[in-house]
Amino acid sequence: MNEKIVNKKNLIWKYNFAFILIFLGIIFSYLKLGTEFLGFSSVGLWLIYVGFIMLIVVTLRLIYNKKRIVDERMQFVSTKAARITFIGIIMFSFIIMIIDGIKSIDIAYSYFMSYLICGIVLLYLVSYKILLRFN
Amino acid sequence: MKNRIADLRKKINITQQELAERVNVTRQTIISLEFGRYNPSLELAYKITKTLKQKYLKDVFDLKSIKI
Repeated sequence: MNEKIVNKKNLIWKYNFAFILIFLGIIFSYLKLGTEFLGFSSVGLWLIYVGFIMLIVVTLRLIYNKKRIVDERMQFVSTKAARITFIGIIMFSFIIMIIDGIKSIDIAYSYFMSYLICGIVLLYLVSYKILLRFN
Repeated sequence: MKNRIADLRKKINITQQELAERVNVTRQTIISLEFGRYNPSLELAYKITKTLKQKYLKDVFDLKSIKI
């Protein structure tokens, strides 16, 4: 498929996703669902915040649209980085299970998942950058 | 895999950046190839061979260094 068509489709998906988040956020806020969530007064406000951040990021990327070359070596390295991240998640899970066995971890599920996602992204980026340098 | 990319590139007087642009990869990939750190796909190897004005892959890449 034409690269321009694929990019346009991806853009439409991203915008749709951002608007869905904002829409859900408005509905949740209107229905007054939930209380304190990740530093926000309700989950609805958090969804609106995430939706707007996504809108800003997508729009900025659209405005400063620079052509990026993604060659086969980069794809090869990204596959390796993904494998390292996957192994990292498994090892981290085991460590967390052991720690939880020793002393019960008392943390909200939303906080735990947000830390986990940040950790995964960070591990992937670091391993990708290191591998890109040595491959 | 050993190769003669750097020699042949200098012979036709093009920079790493120019070669990278012609075969549609990054300059870092050309550096990796020249140092033999990365083995290219058949498609990229063919593109490089043609860009360096060679007839066969074996003129650029040392295929004997591949262990079977």
